[in-house]
Amino acid sequence: MDSHFLMRRIHSLTGVVPVGLFLIYHLYLQLYLHSGAEIYNNEVNSFYDSPLAIWTLVFVVYIPLFFHSFLGILLIFESTVQPSYTYYSHLLYWLQRISGIGVLLFILAHIWNTQLGPWVAGTWGTHFEHLSNGFADPDTGMLTKTVYVLGVLGAIFHFANGLNTFCMTWGIALTPNSQKRVRSFSIILFVILTASALYALAAIW
Amino acid sequence: MSDTVTFKIKRQNTAESSPYWENFVIPYIPNSNVISCLMDIQTKPENSKGEKVTPVVWESNCLEEVCGSCTMVINGKVHQACSALIDKLEKPITLEPMSKFPVIRDLIVDRSRMFEALKKVQAWVTADGYHDLGPGDRESQSIQEVAYKLSECMTCGCCVEACPQYGINNDFLGAAAISQARLFNMHHTARNTADERLDTLMQEGGIADCGNAQNCVEACPKSIPLTESIAEMGRQVSGKLWRNIFKA
Repeated sequence: MDSHFLMRRIHSLTGVVPVGLFLIYHLYLQLYLHSGAEIYNNEVNSFYDSPLAIWTLVFVVYIPLFFHSFLGILLIFESTVQPSYTYYSHLLYWLQRISGIGVLLFILAHIWNTQLGPWVAGTWGTHFEHLSNGFADPDTGMLTKTVYVLGVLGAIFHFANGLNTFCMTWGIALTPNSQKRVRSFSIILFVILTASALYALAAIW
Repeated sequence: MSDTVTFKIKRQNTAESSPYWENFVIPYIPNSNVISCLMDIQTKPENSKGEKVTPVVWESNCLEEVCGSCTMVINGKVHQACSALIDKLEKPITLEPMSKFPVIRDLIVDRSRMFEALKKVQAWVTADGYHDLGPGDRESQSIQEVAYKLSECMTCGCCVEACPQYGINNDFLGAAAISQARLFNMHHTARNTADERLDTLMQEGGIADCGNAQNCVEACPKSIPLTESIAEMGRQVSGKLWRNIFKA
């Protein structure tokens, strides 16, 4: 066993635990957008009230996420483009890589927009107003909405499809039949998370 | 149906020279395959411009899709030329050498990297010494059924040619070798060295380089369940990883 093997296994693991689980929690939290500004802001701020909030974010989200992203980018450069093999799994293989890049760009913009930006501007704490004002902006609102929908869809796809390949990589789904079942599960997961995310966004559309 | 068939062939004179395309027009013969057409070209090596050229060279042996030596890229997809029937192919037919191996000449490539991969995963039954070890254990019916399918691999290279992770300059062992590691890890005598096979799979170029594109299983002419083999070996190395972390 060498670090090459270990790094790739950690890459595979971090995508699901903790980053994937965080995605589910994060999408769940956004459903509070329907409860109005006060409740939403309270929900989000109550997380940050914890003395471990910043450490949780750094160790559970940022470090695993950026490790996953960094190695993921390196992995893309190992791929050979072979468009004549038009198989479904091969398409997913490329969508996984393209969505990975797109989602990384989205996450960087998202962190700036919702976390670093408000901190710098001193408007931290009014998350609901910040988001809904951004969406309602007459000049950039449409762009923000489009980026959010694409970014969220990309992230959910990347997670659902990644869960599918995770089961193959770790030898959880062995036979073609079990791999088909895992694929069905990941499609259902994709649909549920997408519905949840779009419903949450509809609150401030 | 026209009475001629056009072949567009990617040629290369030596291993070092650069490739070029040349067209050949030959009479159409119903039910012919790519090899018989190449033989036709060989009898009258003249390109579509009427110039006399060196005959196109290729490798072939069994002519019944069992040896794997005539594997080449036909109309963009890798396949054995002997079982590629021209009636089923779109015209003009393009022939290229496999792209993942160094070209020796025209359609002949050097696939020794695949043999090296088999050596790395010890794709053999390990028997120590010359003394009589007696008869081996009986293999169960269920193991036989899986093992027989895996043993049909002819190391043709289709799986690695179609694989987006198998590059001409990287160290990936490829689906064929991973599947053979599985075959020998389930053999009653060869499984004595199962751990050594797993060690190889857990190094650079090993199973972690699989990207789950699953082109291998689609491209395999013998319909070997390669993704099942990769998942099974993924399970075995996961177990070894676990044991490595928690061993005393």
